[in-house]
Amino acid sequence: MDSWVVAMMLGASLFLGALALAAFLWGIKNGQFDDEKKMMSQVHFDDEKELNDLADQQKKREELKKKVYKPE
Amino acid sequence: MYEKIESAGSLNMSKVKCDHCHLEFSDSVMIHDEEYRFCCNGCRGIFHLLKDEGLESFYSKMGDTTLAPPTQQFEASSNFDTPAFYERFVTFDKEGLSQVSLVIEGIHCAACVWLNEKALHKMDGVIEANINYTNNKARITWDANTLKLSAIIDMIRAIGYNAFPYDASFQEVRANKERKEYYLRMAVATFAAMNMMWIAVAQYAGYFTGITQDIKTILNIAEWFLATPVLFYSGWVFYRGAYYGLRNRAVTMDLLVVTGSSLAYLYSIYITVFEKGEAYFDSVAMIITFVLFGKFLEVLSRKNAADTLDVMSKHIPSEVSIIEGESIRDVNVNEVRVGDIIRIRSGERAAIDGEVIAGEGNFDESNLTGESEPIFKRPSDFIISGTTSIDALLHYRATKDFAHSTLSHLVNLLENALSHKPKIEQLANRLSQHFSSTILFLAIGTFWFWYFWPHSFDRSLMVGISVIIIACPCALALATPVATLVGLALGAKRGILFKSAAQIETMAKASMVVLDKTGTITQGRPEVVYVTIHETFNSDILYSLAKASKHPISRGVAEYLERTYETVVQMLLEDVHEIPARGVVARVNGKMIVGGNALLMRDNGIEIESVSDKSLFYYTVDGVLAATYELRDLPKEKAFESISTLKKFGLRVVMLTGDHERAAVHVANEVGIDEVHSHLNPEQKATFIEMAHTEGHVVVMAGDGVNDLLALARADIAIAMGNGSDIAIEVSDVVLLNDSLTSLAEAFAISRRTYGLIKQNLGISLVYNSITIPLAMMGYVIPLMAAISMSFSSLLVVGNSMRSRWMYK
Repeated sequence: MDSWVVAMMLGASLFLGALALAAFLWGIKNGQFDDEKKMMSQVHFDDEKELNDLADQQKKREELKKKVYKPE
Repeated sequence: MYEKIESAGSLNMSKVKCDHCHLEFSDSVMIHDEEYRFCCNGCRGIFHLLKDEGLESFYSKMGDTTLAPPTQQFEASSNFDTPAFYERFVTFDKEGLSQVSLVIEGIHCAACVWLNEKALHKMDGVIEANINYTNNKARITWDANTLKLSAIIDMIRAIGYNAFPYDASFQEVRANKERKEYYLRMAVATFAAMNMMWIAVAQYAGYFTGITQDIKTILNIAEWFLATPVLFYSGWVFYRGAYYGLRNRAVTMDLLVVTGSSLAYLYSIYITVFEKGEAYFDSVAMIITFVLFGKFLEVLSRKNAADTLDVMSKHIPSEVSIIEGESIRDVNVNEVRVGDIIRIRSGERAAIDGEVIAGEGNFDESNLTGESEPIFKRPSDFIISGTTSIDALLHYRATKDFAHSTLSHLVNLLENALSHKPKIEQLANRLSQHFSSTILFLAIGTFWFWYFWPHSFDRSLMVGISVIIIACPCALALATPVATLVGLALGAKRGILFKSAAQIETMAKASMVVLDKTGTITQGRPEVVYVTIHETFNSDILYSLAKASKHPISRGVAEYLERTYETVVQMLLEDVHEIPARGVVARVNGKMIVGGNALLMRDNGIEIESVSDKSLFYYTVDGVLAATYELRDLPKEKAFESISTLKKFGLRVVMLTGDHERAAVHVANEVGIDEVHSHLNPEQKATFIEMAHTEGHVVVMAGDGVNDLLALARADIAIAMGNGSDIAIEVSDVVLLNDSLTSLAEAFAISRRTYGLIKQNLGISLVYNSITIPLAMMGYVIPLMAAISMSFSSLLVVGNSMRSRWMYK
């Protein structure tokens, strides 16, 4: 067996693993695992309405930003 | 109490659930509102508010949990809008939005978190409300131009919770950041180490069955790729630790880890590049990963000093109302000068010492004195800062400014004591210093020995490095954290919370235990111990009379009646008057009924001759003495057994109390304590602990009230009773959730056992090393064996700790 096959397989699998690791690190940095109790229980309340609320909240923030930085 | 209600409900079908708080009550006492039932107006108000806001899905999310019915005793929320408050608690983010950190009280379930966040999000101007379910702390971002902070607080209160602000202090932010950093480092280390394992499997298989050099190099390069982030990113904490250690001229465990892994790493690169021998990359990753986990366990169980100060600041009012001529003005406590007239209303806490000039009412001084009875204050009496007005509305003249008042004096003393808390060096730290320098010395010696023997440089270096790797400090680093983790878990199962792992070891070394009397040894509330009935009377009437007062003595009598006559019911009394520090007077069916102490009897023209050191409650009907109740603060259940257990541990047991000597000695004899110090004020209690320190004792102090605070802060280990005051719990190192003395004895047993386990674990790793290190020095260690032995020693330590966990009941 050509040793390059081994090298390629190693490289590919490590790359894929590194991608997953990067996603996990992003999650930690983002504060998604900060509150273990909330993370486990709040899932039950997750539905379409929650997403809409989140979008509204985002909109509110954008509007406010505009208001605060209104040029004179 | 709730359990009782629920179990009764299952038997008795007439009980119904309140539609808001889900507690069950009999249908007749409920408020009927269309098809809904409420236990109180508070619940009804919240229910309708949630319905109007479209948040009624809260009730389906809540499931089976019950809520505490709302209380309506809040300080005015306008306090939250003052500039002084903003200056202290409100910060601004990059976009110019205001941010505040709040602690929300009353969160029981995930649905509560949901409700609070949703209710706040619905408010105009609130940009983000993020509540942490684990510690009930909230971070709220809002636009100060649209919305006042008081409106936010009002909303939280309106839906049945309460919020108070806290300084998201620098320390806390830093502690959280540190923890998060550890998560990141551990994630990287675990990922790399696990991947390294399957590459290593190929390496070892190749080692025994033959492998071509180019495949080996490929594997080595892959390992190199994986080991690099582990050593330099995850292992950065060790480099930092070693550096600070060296700067303080100390050889630490970190230094051993760093030298071992760095040398192995460099050596492996050399092997990989020159294509000869075996690389040690897997050992590098393993060492760092294992030791990093051990270090993380320590960080995790370290006590967070930040939280203590948060609760302290909750207890200090930041503003007072002062009267200037006709007008009342809210000023910052620091601006109050001696001579200013201060107004205090019911429910408010005094921030400044002073003398009453107008008005009267009861004060709760239990905070400072431990005295559970309300104190009646009238003009020319003194107000002590830190005490709370129960029903008094009065004006008083400041006799001291804020900085010199009792409360800030106490806080200063406390902060001082906390920062000077004695530290007892941990066994593992002491040991690791010697261990590290010995191993480094041996490794260097081995290298020179082999080099001059004579062997090649390669060979000598490899043997030298193998000494460091085989002496892998994993087992040593894991010995303490794993054992304490077992101890913490054992304690938590029994309602004993050790706030910091290091304290378990200190507690095991304790030689003296100091107990507060009221609330710690005794139950902290008087109970009826002896009854004399002079005339027959209707117990329902007495019960109603006793219920009319919140005084502990009356409550004790009411409880006694509930226990003895199971069917007592409250009746309607007329003209109920509570006379402070005396008792209660009322009228029923034209008869005059009086219940209270001897002074009250005398005022009503009834002569009482008997004198007793116990509290007495007399009951008269129309001027005729009907019954006498003797009440006493009884020791807790199993107090005697627990104290003899403590003595069996070889501890010197001492009781301290602010009470008078006779009562103190009586209780002490009952529970079997020989050494009693009575009549002590909080500072004297603390001095006593200091004295014990100078005698060389390691002191454990158990208490529950604010009057024990200073002593608690001075002690090596402070133990608070679970129903003690908030500050006492914050200051303490150990909390006994079920308040019993049995768990105090158990806490000692667990800490001693854990300490024994730590010693065993350290022993195992040392014995292990003393066998393997000579082998390594003689050059008998091949890479596979190094790796296996490393994991094996760690497994031994972890296994031993687990064994102890199963063995302990």
